Amino acid sequence: MEIPLTATLARAGRDYLGAFKAMATPCEVRVETDDAELGRRVTDAVEAEARRIEAKFSRYRDDSIIGRINAAGGRKTAVDAETAHLLDFASQCFDLSGGMFDITSGVLRRAWRFDGSDRVPGASDIKPLHKLVGWNMVSWRNSCLTLPAGMEIDLGGLAKEYAVDRALAVARAITAAPVLVNFGGDLAVSGPRTGETRWHVAIASVEKDDAMAGMLELVSGALATSGDARRFLLKDGVRYSHILNPRTGWPVKDAPRSVTVAAPSCVEAGMVATLAMLQGKRAEQFLKREGARAWCIR
Amino acid sequence: MQLKRRKAGRVGRAISAISATLLIATAASCENSAVAQDFYGLDKAGRDNFGPGIAYTEFDGALLIYQEAGGRVQAIEPTANLAIHGARGQQLTLGAVADAVSGATPNGAVPSDRTQTFVTPLKPQGSSTTVTSASGGSTVIQLPPTPGQVASASLGRQYTTAPNTLPMDKGFRDHRAALTAGWSQPLGWISEIGGGAGFSREEDYQSITANVRAAKNFNSDNTTISLDLNGEFDSSFPFGGVPTGLSAMNAQFKPITTRHKTQLGFVLGLTEVMTRNWLMALNYSYDSQKGYQTDPYRVISVVDPTSGEPTSTLYENRPEQRKTQSLFWDNKLAFGPTVTELSYRYFTDNWGISSHTVEASERINLAKSWYIEPNVRFYHQNAANFYRAFLVSNAALPAYASSDTRLSRFDAITYGAKIGFRVSGRSELYVRADYYTQSGDGHPANAIGQLRGQDLFAGTKAAIVQVGYQWKFH
Repeated sequence: MEIPLTATLARAGRDYLGAFKAMATPCEVRVETDDAELGRRVTDAVEAEARRIEAKFSRYRDDSIIGRINAAGGRKTAVDAETAHLLDFASQCFDLSGGMFDITSGVLRRAWRFDGSDRVPGASDIKPLHKLVGWNMVSWRNSCLTLPAGMEIDLGGLAKEYAVDRALAVARAITAAPVLVNFGGDLAVSGPRTGETRWHVAIASVEKDDAMAGMLELVSGALATSGDARRFLLKDGVRYSHILNPRTGWPVKDAPRSVTVAAPSCVEAGMVATLAMLQGKRAEQFLKREGARAWCIR
Repeated sequence: MQLKRRKAGRVGRAISAISATLLIATAASCENSAVAQDFYGLDKAGRDNFGPGIAYTEFDGALLIYQEAGGRVQAIEPTANLAIHGARGQQLTLGAVADAVSGATPNGAVPSDRTQTFVTPLKPQGSSTTVTSASGGSTVIQLPPTPGQVASASLGRQYTTAPNTLPMDKGFRDHRAALTAGWSQPLGWISEIGGGAGFSREEDYQSITANVRAAKNFNSDNTTISLDLNGEFDSSFPFGGVPTGLSAMNAQFKPITTRHKTQLGFVLGLTEVMTRNWLMALNYSYDSQKGYQTDPYRVISVVDPTSGEPTSTLYENRPEQRKTQSLFWDNKLAFGPTVTELSYRYFTDNWGISSHTVEASERINLAKSWYIEPNVRFYHQNAANFYRAFLVSNAALPAYASSDTRLSRFDAITYGAKIGFRVSGRSELYVRADYYTQSGDGHPANAIGQLRGQDLFAGTKAAIVQVGYQWKFH
């Protein structure tokens, strides 16, 4: 299957703005330059990196590394170095969060479909799936992963943020010009704009599509948002957030509508935001304790 | 809404540390794969995922045309190669080659200021190597009966060479077909283990090859050490039988019809990613060959010690043992839009040959889908210790003698260029053209009489054109 590069390139103020759609989300890259050819080269490289990561870690593709691991049927799968580093990271996050962040929890989505409806599954739907959740049940050593039959992994909670950091690194290798990479609201900048000025980033409203809930100014580092803006279930006045607690198989209660975290890297920002969401009503307390620079919307 | 900033807690600090580690570690592994893409000409943009861990198939089909100057050998060679890559690093390769070769080859005799006549066995009618007087410049002759010869061989083929021209046999025509198959895969701690076999058949030659290979990657795949063991079993069944070395050239069918050669060898390889832009490989190879290595059609002139006129023509003879060693040093350098390849090879054997090869090529990306890759190659070799341009009639016959210019001291230069056009992210069309010239000593100091006026170096000049198509698919 061939994946052609599709990004459009347009002049936007002082920047060239490349835009494309990948990982089921709008993606953009801003390069502060007057050189259209440079804008095109950076955009193409960023898109290529996004598509490489999307294809490599997609759980929908049989030939992706995730597809192979999930189809291994209890057998061992050897993985390449990049995948191994991501699995190490996921494994450490599992430990740090006391099992709240778990890349094996994706199977629960077979029961939970967060489409804004009121179709809340019953306990009998969740119980058999919940037995297939638990990173502590897998064997992960020497770059080989063995999942018990039926279990699956999904790097979806990690891949987009990782793609932002990788894409920024790819852009930096091409140019010293200021660059902003934004994949569906998870973003990172290469440094300040020309003249030590800041990047302005709008935080999207969780209520309305095009409204803005606030404006952040960013000089360096990354922002990531975890939220249920449009992905939730609403039944009998109870709002079920799309953040599932792997330890119960049920959505986290009283989670903020969205958490935006600033950190040196998008991977770090995304992980802190996700862990905060998993804290439910103690999200703010968690962010405060961990000293995160964060916005919460309830 | 609240914006907060305080000293990080335990979890925050840990996430910060492991995130930084993740990005540094993956940057290193991604850079290495970027290097590999630069070097191996894969789609740099990575639009198509044909890398490790992905199952895909590669097809390469090409047509090669080889033409030597002066109406000598010409060859047409279609090739097809298929490589099937499995998602777990398995690889199956299949290859097929066909050859049609025709033209005139120097028979090994020296030129003379007189007309020379050569006789050789006549190929039976119906054989595809049959020559007629019209096409081959030969005539059929009646042989005088000779005691002890094969009864059917009463006819021979005779051809003449005009004064002051290099004697050539124009009846050269052959077909070849070859098939190869190989398999490799990772196995336990071994990064790659595999083997292969090949079979090649000509009208007068057959070759069977087999090899096994193991490779191990170290140091985050930046270092690869490999060992290849290979064996070959060849059979030579020349038309007219196998002549006795240094016996007089004649038109009789010889009683020995087939001779064999066996070859065993190994290659020890080291590949190292030196930096992000520099890939280096070092190979040492050793081969031991035993058996028939003489060219059964090639002759050598015996000349008069004063006039230099040929007095007789003998079949050549080469030693039956050959041990060769070579060291190959290859560097691929990727800077900016170009990829440079620089290599050096040193070769030596117990026949007294030693050679040096220096080759350079530069791949330059022209536009988005075009690239050009000019290359130049310099070659120098010393003569084998049994190389003789001719023998002298009053001297004792040596044990071995050959006048094959490929065993003489000579220099060669190849200039060429490849132009590639990327039809899509997965297919590429290429044309490659090379011009090869050999130069050697046509007037050696030991030339006698009329030979001083002749060019005794029968080296070739050849043009090679190849058109090919590569296609990758899932």
